[in-house]
Order: sequence, then structure tokens, then C-alpha cells
Amino acid sequence: MLTPTILIQLVLAGVLQGGTYALAAFGLSLIFCIAEVLNITHGEFLMLGGLVTYLLFALTGLNPFLILIIVIPVFVLIGAAYQKVFIKPILNRPPRQLLFSSIVVTVGIATAIEDTTSFIWGPTVKGVSYSMPAFNVGGVVVSSLRLSILVLIIALTIFLHFYLKKSFAGKAIRAILQNREGAMVVGINVPRIVTLVFGIAIGLAGTAGLFYVLLFTIGPFIGLPLTIRYIAIVMLGGSGSLIGSLAGGLILGVAETFAGFFLGAHWSLAVAFCTLVLVLLLKPQGLFKHV
Amino acid sequence: MSKKIFNPWEGILIIFLVCLAVMPRFIDPYWVVFLLLLFMYIGIGASFNITAGYLGYVNLGHYVFFGISAYGFSILYVKGVPFVFCLTTGVLVTLIFATLISYPFLRLKGAYFALANFGLIKLFELVAGSLRDFTGGTQGISLKPGYRALETYYIFLGVALLTVLVCYWIPRSKFGLALFGVREDEEVAAAFGIDVTKYKMSAYVLSALFPALLGGVYAWYSGFIDPEVVFGTDKALLPVTMVMMGGTGTFLGPIIGAIFMMLIEELLWTSTWLPVWIKSLHLTMLGLILAAVGIFSPGGLVTLSPFAKFFNWVGLGRFLGASHKLLKVDKTQA
Repeated sequence: MLTPTILIQLVLAGVLQGGTYALAAFGLSLIFCIAEVLNITHGEFLMLGGLVTYLLFALTGLNPFLILIIVIPVFVLIGAAYQKVFIKPILNRPPRQLLFSSIVVTVGIATAIEDTTSFIWGPTVKGVSYSMPAFNVGGVVVSSLRLSILVLIIALTIFLHFYLKKSFAGKAIRAILQNREGAMVVGINVPRIVTLVFGIAIGLAGTAGLFYVLLFTIGPFIGLPLTIRYIAIVMLGGSGSLIGSLAGGLILGVAETFAGFFLGAHWSLAVAFCTLVLVLLLKPQGLFKHV
Repeated sequence: MSKKIFNPWEGILIIFLVCLAVMPRFIDPYWVVFLLLLFMYIGIGASFNITAGYLGYVNLGHYVFFGISAYGFSILYVKGVPFVFCLTTGVLVTLIFATLISYPFLRLKGAYFALANFGLIKLFELVAGSLRDFTGGTQGISLKPGYRALETYYIFLGVALLTVLVCYWIPRSKFGLALFGVREDEEVAAAFGIDVTKYKMSAYVLSALFPALLGGVYAWYSGFIDPEVVFGTDKALLPVTMVMMGGTGTFLGPIIGAIFMMLIEELLWTSTWLPVWIKSLHLTMLGLILAAVGIFSPGGLVTLSPFAKFFNWVGLGRFLGASHKLLKVDKTQA
């Protein structure tokens, strides 16, 4: 059954899926570390990103990769606004209350987004039918659309890496990760960085949504299952680590593809949950340390 | 405070309970079902509060006990096993399961504990949906239909009362004192000679008992269960939202939260004077109300001044006390 060709094809599909996971999961992980908020709304923003792409594509017929230039700034702004309106009021609570409040607030917003979207759009799934020629490398069929998305994801990850290492805001984010009080003492404006982090994270979620709608189909109810996958990835990779999110995303993507191939598609989500529970029990700190 | 010889609240409580007991004979069946579901939510919310409020471990997968018991009950019941035996087995299986997972899971803290439990309930949803021979897959299990609202009403009333009584007893017992100690600081509690692991595990298993009782009877009452009904995401988040709405760690919080949630749902679903589009968007409204509660009233409804004033005025203020004290402690720490 498992010929080398199929094996390579499966790994490729898994890597691609893992790449889209990793982008959004890194955002969630940053939010979890910097703001200590469990953002259950994250998957909904991915869904919205996909929806905006679908709309723009249907209206203008632009190249989806040009739509990316519109989607990123729009979702960065949405993320910052979301943080200002809903998250800021609960940030200064003591830890246990913050956990409770963040779950209740983000679950409420997620429910509202999900319900409104399904009310306006109907429960049908949508996809962007944009295709690029596929080519054949030694029996392995590679779609150039998938390949270009993979290249874009890698480029974005490298950009993020250097943004976090070199820019002032990136250094501030890493400083807060290492020592919050210390960062405050040396004059880092923590609330502003938190807003920035939400902007980056939700911008990444919107971008991932664009890739998602190009590769798969989206529906109003994909948000929560995706959020759970992201949480599994964040826990697997270790929170606040870009490399960790990438590794976690790839591991989960490949594992899900293999589980889907051997056991049937409905088991693929079970892999995420098993990973989540097992990682939490065996290695609660995750595989990698902070950035 | 002087001790009163006669407490008027005991009389009122007895009259209220008698009213509840005879009510199904006089009211519309619709409201019997409404009250029955209300009792179920009170039972689940109050038992969730044992771990989340008293012990300080937010269990996002609390509904999993409800589901396991419901499945255990249904699998046996369709094979013709008598009701009592089915229910006992369902509850026992749930309790054994709770005991087994409590040890590894309670080593986690805060958000990690919450997430592990959330993953657990989703895992159960998938497993129940995939094991077609054993659980009927996504089609679920259908029991023999019948009108069982009246019997279920009394059982649920009993379980809700039991839960509320246990929640009333815990803060007044040594057991509760130990739980509060663990909640505030585990290391200090251990230093004072509290067997932290033992108390955490017993609180977890105790909180699993009530959803297990409710789950089996619910499967019997509704005559149908599937993975979505007992392990769905909205179900997993229901106790958190209910208790948060009422007020965590207080005796009255879960009860008020459950009543409030049921009333909102009822209002949004069935009222005739609301425009139709609001009803179509009733989940949106519910979500926004939740977010508003989370943002504006961190301690839940019981700490809002109109509620607090009302309860103080009728003399029930002492049931809100725990939460007020807690808030003060937390504020000084922050």
C-alpha cells in the first residue's frame, strides 16, 4: 500500500497543512505568553480571513497573493481593535480571575462571530477555485499553488524571526517574555506591546485563513476545532517560541495526514486531542523554550 | 450577631420546596421541562463550582462525566438491563474514570489543567462518534421512547438539592477549609499538613458524582443521545459560562447563573415581542451577553450592587460573603 511516492506525497501534504497551522498557532502562543489570555476566538479570525479572501476574490477576481497585501493590514487593525475593546478591560485581574474572564469573554465573542457569520452566509462551505499548473517530479505530483504557499509561509516565518530578533518591538516582546517586571522597569510600554502582539497574532491568523481557503474549504463552524488544534500545537511546541510553533505545527500536520490516510479522515482531529493531553501530562513545558 | 431562635428562612425554604414538589401537577408540561432542565443546570453548575470555585482548578471538561454516564447508561439500557442497575453502572464507571484521571491531571495547574480537560472532552466526542459498534457512532443511541418528564423532574430536583446541600456543607467543613487552603497556596497548605493530593482528588471525584447522576437520568429522559449532545463544545463551555455569570466560589453564584442563563435562552427563543432577526441571532446575543459579563462583572452577577443589596436586604447576604472576601484578598495581592 505505502509506496515511497505516496509517502512523499503524504509528508508534503502534512508539511503544508502544518505550515498553515503553525502561522496561526504562533500568534495564539504569543498572546498566551505576553497577555496570559487564552484566546479562543483565534480560529474565528482565521475563518474571517478566509471569508474576506473569498469575498475579494469573488468580487474582483484578483490574484489571491495580491489579496494578501490587503488582508494582512486589515487583520492587524482588527486584532488591535479587538484587543482594545474586549481584552484590555480584563488584563489587570489576578491570574485565576484572568483565566476565567478570558475564557468567558473570548468564548462569547467566538460564539457571536460564528453565529453571525452562519446567519449571513448560511452554513455552506466555500472555497476559492484558483488553480495553478501542477508539475511532476519523478512520479510525485506537486501543485505549484501549494508550493508557492509553502514558500510564502517560509518567507513569513523568516521575516517574523528577524522581526523578533532585530526590531525594537520584537526585542521588547522578547523582554516581556523573559521578565515582565524587568521589562516594565527599563521603560517598555507593556500595554502597547500587548496591543501590538494582538495585531501581529490576528494578522497572522488572517493570513493563515487566506492560505486555508486556497487549500481547503471554509465554513462558519471551522473556528473552534481549529482553535483546539492551535492550542495542541502551542502546548506541543512550548508557548512563546516561533521554532516550537513551527515544529509543533509540522508534527501535528504530518501526524494528522498519516492518521487520515491510515485510519480515516474523522480520526485526524483525535490526533490533535491525544497530542494535547499527552504533551500536557508528559512534558507540560513543551518541546522548546521561549523565542 | 445574636443568634435568632426562629429563622424565617427555614420556613420559607420548606414552603418553597413543597411548592416545587407539588408544582408539576398544576403547571403546563412545558414549564415542567423548563424546570427540569433548570435543575440539571443547577446540578452541573454547582458541582463544577466545587473544583473551579472552591478548589481553584477550572475544569473545562466537566461535562465529560455527564457524557460518560449517559453513554454507560444507554449502552446497558438498550440491552434490556433494569433502570437502577444501568444508572449505578453508569455512575460507577464515571467515578472510576474520574479517580483514574484525577491523579495525572491534577498535577497540571491553571490554564494547562483547563486545556487538558477540554482536550479530553473533545477526544471523547470523537471516540464516541467513531466507535460505531459500541456507541452507535454519530447516529447516537435511541432508547425506547416514552413520557418520563414527571419522574425525571423529581429525580433532577433531588439531585439538584443534593448538590446544593453539598455545596452548602463544603465551605463549613474541614474538607472545604482544606480546599480553600489549596486554592490560595498549595505549598503553604502542604506545609500546614494538608494532604494536598488527597484533597484535590477527592474534590475532583466528588464534583464528578453529580453530573454522572444527571447524565444517566438525562439519557433515560430524552430517549436519545449522540456525541454532540453530551460532549459538544457548547456543552463543555456551558458550566464555565453559567458559573462565571453567577459568581465563582460562592454558594449562590451557580444557582443564580443557571437561572439567569435559562431565562435569557427562554427570552431569546420564545418571546413574541422581540424582532425576528434577534431571535435568529440568539446565539450572537448570548455570546455578547457572556462577553459583557466577563468584562464588566468579574465576580459574576452576585457581586453586582443591585443583587448584593437585594440579598443583603432579605438577609441572605452571608451567602455572598465568600466571594466578597475573596475579591478583597485578590485585590490586595494584585
